[in-house]
Amino acid sequence: MSNSAIRAFLFWVQQKKWLLLIIAVGVAMYWLPYPDTISTRGYRALILGIMVVSLIITEPVPLPAVAILIAVLEVSFRIAPANEVARSYMSDSVFFIMGSLMMAVAIIHQGLDTRLALAIIRFTGNKIYDIVFGFVSISALLASFVGVHTVVALMLPVGLTLVRYCSAKQPVPNITALLLFSIAYGSTVGSIGTPSGGARNPIMIEFLRSNSETGTTLSYGQWIIMTYPMVLIGILTTAFLLRTTFKPEFSSLDSAVRKLKIQVAHKGPLNAKEILTIGIFVFIFLCWVLLNEKIGMGIIAIAGAFLYMASGLIEWKDINKNTNWGVILLFAGAISLGVQMKNAGTAVWIGNGIIGMTGGLMEQFEVVRYIVVIFLTTLLSNVMNPAGAVAVLGPITLNMGGHPLFMGLTTATSASFSYLSAVAAPACLIIYSSGLVKMKDFLRAGWRVTAASALTLLIIYYLYWPLVVGFTNFK
Amino acid sequence: MRFLIAIKDTTPESKNILHIGVKIANGLSADLSVIFVGKKSGAFIEGDVALARQSLAEWNIHHPGIEVLKWAFESIKEFGFLNDEYTAFDPSNLIEESGRIRMVLPQSSGEKIRLLLREGSLLNELHKETQYRDYEIAIIGNPERKRMTHKLIQFLDTSVFIIKNFNPRWNYKILLCVDDSVATKRAIIFGAIISRQFDAPIHAITVSKTKKFGKGYRNASRWVQKYLRMQKLPHTISMITGKPADVFLQEAGTDHIIIMGKSAGGELKQFIQGSKPIHTAQKAKSPILLVKP
Repeated sequence: MSNSAIRAFLFWVQQKKWLLLIIAVGVAMYWLPYPDTISTRGYRALILGIMVVSLIITEPVPLPAVAILIAVLEVSFRIAPANEVARSYMSDSVFFIMGSLMMAVAIIHQGLDTRLALAIIRFTGNKIYDIVFGFVSISALLASFVGVHTVVALMLPVGLTLVRYCSAKQPVPNITALLLFSIAYGSTVGSIGTPSGGARNPIMIEFLRSNSETGTTLSYGQWIIMTYPMVLIGILTTAFLLRTTFKPEFSSLDSAVRKLKIQVAHKGPLNAKEILTIGIFVFIFLCWVLLNEKIGMGIIAIAGAFLYMASGLIEWKDINKNTNWGVILLFAGAISLGVQMKNAGTAVWIGNGIIGMTGGLMEQFEVVRYIVVIFLTTLLSNVMNPAGAVAVLGPITLNMGGHPLFMGLTTATSASFSYLSAVAAPACLIIYSSGLVKMKDFLRAGWRVTAASALTLLIIYYLYWPLVVGFTNFK
Repeated sequence: MRFLIAIKDTTPESKNILHIGVKIANGLSADLSVIFVGKKSGAFIEGDVALARQSLAEWNIHHPGIEVLKWAFESIKEFGFLNDEYTAFDPSNLIEESGRIRMVLPQSSGEKIRLLLREGSLLNELHKETQYRDYEIAIIGNPERKRMTHKLIQFLDTSVFIIKNFNPRWNYKILLCVDDSVATKRAIIFGAIISRQFDAPIHAITVSKTKKFGKGYRNASRWVQKYLRMQKLPHTISMITGKPADVFLQEAGTDHIIIMGKSAGGELKQFIQGSKPIHTAQKAKSPILLVKP
């Protein structure tokens, strides 16, 4: 073999070292003896779960390849027959994620960001603390309905324009951090408020629905009733904590606001296309609230994508280019894996293991169960991805005892607590990619917001959820 | 001849890298490509980041890498590499090709310079770039990790110039490491070019582990003497006994630019154990150029 061929091979090895290691661990686990308390199918699903999480975190292969691997190994490991695997890949939740992502592309395409800029400035004025509160609240309220990445894409130009014009003397690190974190954390706080806030929410709805023990069906409106108080409290606490973390260099952004107004003033009144864009979204939102139990949230979401295309607001080639199909495929694979982990008994086995590790504390004090779920989900969502964390942990937390609905909502909600790093949550990574905030800023602000959010969630679980479930007919 | 300069930010260290690159490229009338390798977003959120960037571009807020390239362009202009004063940096002239973004400079000087943006790991992206186009030298800053220095030297199919602790106000000398390897002759030729550009005297040394210098070493030392005399460059020649990497480092100190050949043999051995040039580059306290065979 020539030297250049050996070099090419060695380069490939160092590029794919994680893949080779993960395969080696998978093969070794496959042949190793396993505990009697888990079935062969369950043990193989566990191996697959470990491999998939490792592949998602280290990314030695493209994510769609991981989605394909899930199907291949589910059948090859005899965890489930081919037809069942194929069926578990497509559900209303996958349609919902797909439709929401397609609609997001259509909304961003219309350039509503300038409208948003004017509305925010009218609402907040030019005082920095008012602007921060305005950014957090508007980001949160919008992200609840149209998703985090849509809001960040719309809000970030507004924030960065204010940063750019706020002082001739750059950089202004604290004001920069304040404005950018207001957008990122605000939209993340809002993303728990409705099923369309983030992919993790429909994934959890799917797990709740397919969990044979509970069979809980949670509608769009019911989700809002359960989680929106958390959003409202989150807006107040996040705005307050950001103010105390980053002391602004000056208190008024007078000249920046004026320049921003000049930049966006030329747009004139809302045009027909913009009215139609907003109209279609409002219509879809009403359908989600009123019709989702009859026809499913996913069908409504893809109907929204159809309406945007049919009305000529966006062309297929733009949707095709800007929708991350690979991630949709991966979510489908992750849901399938979750379903198989539940069917094969892996989820119960891991759940029992976690209960065992707490030494009976969970049985004694119910709140411990929720603290453990919050801790595990927050940890995984900070290193992996919020939706990925729910896809992996959802089937497990639903089998850890406690009220299944509460456990499911706690998992989905705490998956949004990915404030500590810039590697996992879309909003955090997008502001980090601007190059204007540092990793240590995430830790500075993130631990406070995480602690406040976890505390709020525990209070909501303890005081609010039992009240709602007691007064309504959904369980 | 084509040079590839990799910069990571707009710090004085990056400016020094550009300074050296421009100086040598001027001497060789070489084309210059400046590359910024930015962090790639996780595949999970790649699409989200792309959407946000599209939205930002409409507000004339560009990828942070574009700002770095703009700064590099201004620096190169300042160093006098571009004669055409009308050549301008315009972010609307960015084109996407083969996994990279390239800034097209429409004026005549634009043919001499390429500004490139890639996203991913430094090693992978520089490897892809050197596979995509033939470059003579890749000029890079000092990698933070020793293992990265090792990988860059072994896997980039170009000569590698690592700019460590460079001070543009110092008068550097050239330390030419001469042995019987196949890359030595090219290293000597490069040494002569750089010596002329930096107006720096050359100190050529041959180091043997034993007191006896083999025929190959003696011939190489004679050849360098003859060549440098022909080129009329100020130089000194030494033959020293000791551990090569240690002697090179001791002789180089902080005020020499070290020039030596890249190891040509035993890829697997090199991958596991490293090589004399790799160990020297990892420990050097001054700029070092490793010339490919």
